[in-house]
Amino acid sequence: MFFFHLLTSGLSNGGLYALVALGLITIYRATLVVNFAHGEVFMLGAFFGYMFHVTLALPYPASLALAVASSLLLGMATERIAYRPLVRASTVSLVLASVGFSFVLKGFARVTWGGKGDYIPFPPIFSFPPLQVAGLIIVPQNLVILGGALAFMAVLWAFFRYTKLGKMMRATAENQRAAALVGIRIERVFAVTWGIGTCLGAVAGLLMAPVTLLYPDMGATLLIQAFASAILGGFGSMPGAILGGFIVGLVESFVGGYLGSQYITAAPFVIILAVLVVRPAGLLGTRAVVKV
Amino acid sequence: MPPRRVVLPLLLAVLVVCPFVLNPYLVFVISVVFIYTILALGLNLLLGFAGQFAFANAAFFGIGAYATALLKIHLGVSFWLGLPLGGLITAAIGVVVGLPALRLSGLYLAMATLAFAQLFQWLLIHWPSFTFGAGGIKVSHPGFGPSPFGYETNVYFLCLGVAVLAVFATWNIVRSRVGRAFVAIRDSEVAAQALGIDPARYKTVAFALSAFYAGIAGGLHSVLLNYVAPEGYSLFQMVIHFAMVVVGGLGSVTGSVLGAALMTALPEVLRTFKSAQEIAFGAILMLCIIFLPDGLYGVIRRRLAGWRETLHRAPAGPASAPAPAVVTPDAHP
Repeated sequence: MFFFHLLTSGLSNGGLYALVALGLITIYRATLVVNFAHGEVFMLGAFFGYMFHVTLALPYPASLALAVASSLLLGMATERIAYRPLVRASTVSLVLASVGFSFVLKGFARVTWGGKGDYIPFPPIFSFPPLQVAGLIIVPQNLVILGGALAFMAVLWAFFRYTKLGKMMRATAENQRAAALVGIRIERVFAVTWGIGTCLGAVAGLLMAPVTLLYPDMGATLLIQAFASAILGGFGSMPGAILGGFIVGLVESFVGGYLGSQYITAAPFVIILAVLVVRPAGLLGTRAVVKV
Repeated sequence: MPPRRVVLPLLLAVLVVCPFVLNPYLVFVISVVFIYTILALGLNLLLGFAGQFAFANAAFFGIGAYATALLKIHLGVSFWLGLPLGGLITAAIGVVVGLPALRLSGLYLAMATLAFAQLFQWLLIHWPSFTFGAGGIKVSHPGFGPSPFGYETNVYFLCLGVAVLAVFATWNIVRSRVGRAFVAIRDSEVAAQALGIDPARYKTVAFALSAFYAGIAGGLHSVLLNYVAPEGYSLFQMVIHFAMVVVGGLGSVTGSVLGAALMTALPEVLRTFKSAQEIAFGAILMLCIIFLPDGLYGVIRRRLAGWRETLHRAPAGPASAPAPAVVTPDAHP
């Protein structure tokens, strides 16, 4: 039973890590920027949901849609304000700029939703008790998180596979110059990419909000877990980010269950170090080394 | 006469007078600037000159501080021996951390060193029998022998002395064969190899040097605060270090010093903004990166004739300042 409990919580956390890692990778593939503010995007997604659902008392589906729309706008604004002026800057400058932006977002959340050390509870979406299936206990919110994460991944896959915009984004990620030559407005694609990447982070925040407390610093740990997922899967590979996310979630869950909870925080770092030392390309990655 | 010859002795003279005329708070803040100058110089050697994007500097800072403090507690080694020993221990760990750099570059190296730094912090908290855990360690005052001044003034002069030493050491390192090898590797590893420079060797040297600087700075920090604790060497500390070298100027000794002064002063000044200080700090960081692509050093280079450091590289791209028309032979062999 204990094993099953660890399995379900690992899978549901893994779904969240996969979503956040996917957002990171979506942006990275198109723009080669590693967005260190992505954890804060996740945090703001949860707070946007809180604002619409609790403060403005809108029903949950409406708040979800509004929060996703706000994140889309936030992502596109981020691209315009913070990253377009730095298109040609060095990696170091870009990383530092995104760290600076993460401070701005964190500060914004702290000013708007309370001071340091304030933890805001988010009401549960479903109040029915844990399900019992064949003697196994399932926490509904875990199912919601896992189902929601998988649904969004499917939507993302269909978007990249079937829509014109998705194809344009893939073309731009593949080869910017060639994409521009066939008439794709790559600036516009960048803006959309930032919007969608931000959305993915925010959706993860919205799904996680009911099972955790909200606080402005909640993004930092998730960013590390997303890094671990993306690196494990092969940095730049989208199926890899999903696979890596689930593996990191399961590893954390089992390490916490069988070795002790203090090892949970160390797990993602050990995964990052092990993958980079043994196999830098990750599980599904193709390029071994990215020259910067 | 080049401005450097006038400005530096003047600055030094002012700094020597400072502890006797300023209030204790300002003396403390300037001591922190000295320590951060050492840190910035070390990180600039690695990041700005050798071009290795590593995230471990805050951890090295912590290792130096803990090494100095723990040598005293566990082995009874006095601070005066513990400080250089702490630097050497940190340098040795720096060599180990630098090993992945022989295989990884760019963001991959950043991630690997970031993971190392976070694991180090985790270890500090979860190994209380050796590191005394999250509560930290109280560090006793080292003796200053016959010095007639108070403790804070003694520490101030100690930090000033080491910082001045670090500036001159860096100045000489970057203009030596080693410094030129760093720059060659930074600009093109293949070209450097073609010139007979062994990248593995010089990358290791860069990691060891930068870790040594950070270790010494850590030891000084432990006696300045009389206290070491895990949260002092967190990711935020790393952000400050990065901000110092990028806002100051990558690959510039002057920039390291200016960046250290700015990044120490900024959080102190912003404290008055209370809840908005994070927003202000982040926004200033972003504005600096967008509008000062060469950092503060770039401003000085353009305003003051004769203040050009030969191994500095302007960031690539048309958005940055035009590259200097005259290129010294040793900058681009």
